Amino acid sequence: MSNAILSGEGLQKYFQTRRGVIKAVDSVDFVMREGEVLGVVGESGSGKTTLGNMIVGIYPPTAGKVIFKGGDISQGAGHRSLEIKREIQMVFQNPSSSLNPKRSVRQTLEVPLSVHKTASSVGERVSELLSLVELPPEYADRYPEELGGGEKQLVAIARALATNPSLIVLDEPTSALDVSIQAKIIGVLMRLKDRLNLSYMFITHNLSLMRNVADRVMIMYLGKVREVAPTEEFFKNPIHPYTKMLLSSIPVVSDAEEAVKPEKIVSTGEIAGALNLPPGCSFHPRCPFVMEVCKSVDPPLLEVEPEHFCNCHLYPNDYKDKKAPWQ
Amino acid sequence: MPLLEVRDLRVEYRVYEGTLKVLNGVSLSLERGEKVGIIGESACGKTTTVKTIMGLLAKNSKVAGGDVTYKGEDVLKMSKKRLTELRRKNISMVFQDPSAALNPVFTVRQQLYDIIKFSTDERLTREELHEKAVEVLRQGALPEPDRILDSYPFQLSGGMKQRVNISMALVSASELLIADEPGTSLDVTIEDQIMRLLKKIVEEKGISIIPVKKFVDRIYVMYAGTIVEEGPTREVFNSPQHPYTQLLIKAVPKLTGGGIPEGILGQVPSYLKPPAGCRFVTRCPYAMEVCDTDAPPLYGVGAKQRAACFLYDERQLPR
Repeated sequence: MSNAILSGEGLQKYFQTRRGVIKAVDSVDFVMREGEVLGVVGESGSGKTTLGNMIVGIYPPTAGKVIFKGGDISQGAGHRSLEIKREIQMVFQNPSSSLNPKRSVRQTLEVPLSVHKTASSVGERVSELLSLVELPPEYADRYPEELGGGEKQLVAIARALATNPSLIVLDEPTSALDVSIQAKIIGVLMRLKDRLNLSYMFITHNLSLMRNVADRVMIMYLGKVREVAPTEEFFKNPIHPYTKMLLSSIPVVSDAEEAVKPEKIVSTGEIAGALNLPPGCSFHPRCPFVMEVCKSVDPPLLEVEPEHFCNCHLYPNDYKDKKAPWQ
Repeated sequence: MPLLEVRDLRVEYRVYEGTLKVLNGVSLSLERGEKVGIIGESACGKTTTVKTIMGLLAKNSKVAGGDVTYKGEDVLKMSKKRLTELRRKNISMVFQDPSAALNPVFTVRQQLYDIIKFSTDERLTREELHEKAVEVLRQGALPEPDRILDSYPFQLSGGMKQRVNISMALVSASELLIADEPGTSLDVTIEDQIMRLLKKIVEEKGISIIPVKKFVDRIYVMYAGTIVEEGPTREVFNSPQHPYTQLLIKAVPKLTGGGIPEGILGQVPSYLKPPAGCRFVTRCPYAMEVCDTDAPPLYGVGAKQRAACFLYDERQLPR
């Protein structure tokens, strides 16, 4: 097993607002290994973007630690060394707003190069970066408005690569794009990962996509990790009721895909507001298997199969023979 | 007679750079009680098609040809009064972005009452209005209708807002409901709920529907303002015939795994100067000479599917 590149220990991020405290991320533990693609999946409001932001240091955690290559980097980016900032980069969801419209592609790519001084010849490095993301070199002198959505996202990826990072946080990099373009971007990302030995934390709401690119999948719901497992195992044997609900809700195109869905758990209710979380397990108001204990006690994250973690009161004791109530 | 029939529809937009020839001969039809879907990438003309049907096109647009008939009546040549009448009583639409479709400064009650008043010739009392409003909110599967009525849109979640929109559309949709990607801006679990709700409403009330995605009997695939394939939903998804449909479906990440293929190289052509022949020619792996010059008609493939591609013309060389 390869070494851990990044881990989180009891990560919390609370936001103080006028109407109360929002627990965006609440006691999250995770480990990412070198060269791994970790898919962080959840609905809006699940805290997945907040988690990514803490890792790149957009803000520090309220409590807990972020460990990168053995060192504590829990402070926000302002307190991090240039070296750490160089190693961890991010690609945002919407390339139209993450690229400066008044800068040409060359100017955009020159910023990280001049801050981190990672290249001896800036001009050469710019064309090298463009060829890495499979764009022709003449794109260097174009402006974002002259590029398509997919091409803009490729430029944003090139900008993240400029500093030779080892870890990239991808925050929904393809959710604003059409599927035909998404396929292209994912292809580029996966080739880059192998070539440059990168690790990706891939934040997304798209489980079908994770089935095809992630090594492990981590499900978040209301700031907590609900289930983590290697991708094969995750899709073969999803066990948390929320995971099953998510999988049942995915729109699929073919009968073959319909067949691999787990037993249908019909989606009911909505994700609760983060301001007043339900007591106990925060999923209990939507859960078809809800028991008395769920309303008061939050279940711990337990290893129910090798490498397969889940937090639910149904497990690990009797999950094998637990059937849906209507069966 | 079909409930709705669109024949060879051509729509153009005038812009600073010239004329955008967006719809290029779109034909589709819909029987009473039938659920029909249109799929395609963004900017391929789905929304323009449904807006033309509703008479909601922007000022800089022009219908350059074709016709839209609703129960035998030509919608495009209809008087404004008659069109309003249709929108009051027969046809309604649910839009993609539930937040943009509601007015942020009025409560749901005010907006819903307005629509109910608009839809009827009778003068309703306050009690009757309230009763009707609660009834449609219940049809939209909204719990606590009274609380919803007194809420402003910002106090509701995205899923609830979309349910309010569906309820509002139900007031006037006695025959045809058009839904323009009603679930795309929502989370999958909520999208699933909305789609099941629409399906239930359609099956109970026998309204026809054009949701631009799933739960439909028949599907049209659009590319760059043309219909490239049509057929029963299962057949189209399980054995797509047009090269565009094949590549599009291949590019969707599958729950069964198998990696992500390359997608479709290139982009939708500019509508300022679209290709003269088949509009997919610039990205098609099977492009032939004839595709540059002639637009392919829809050829029958199999029992119920049709694809607009010269590969299915018997005079052409086999693949």
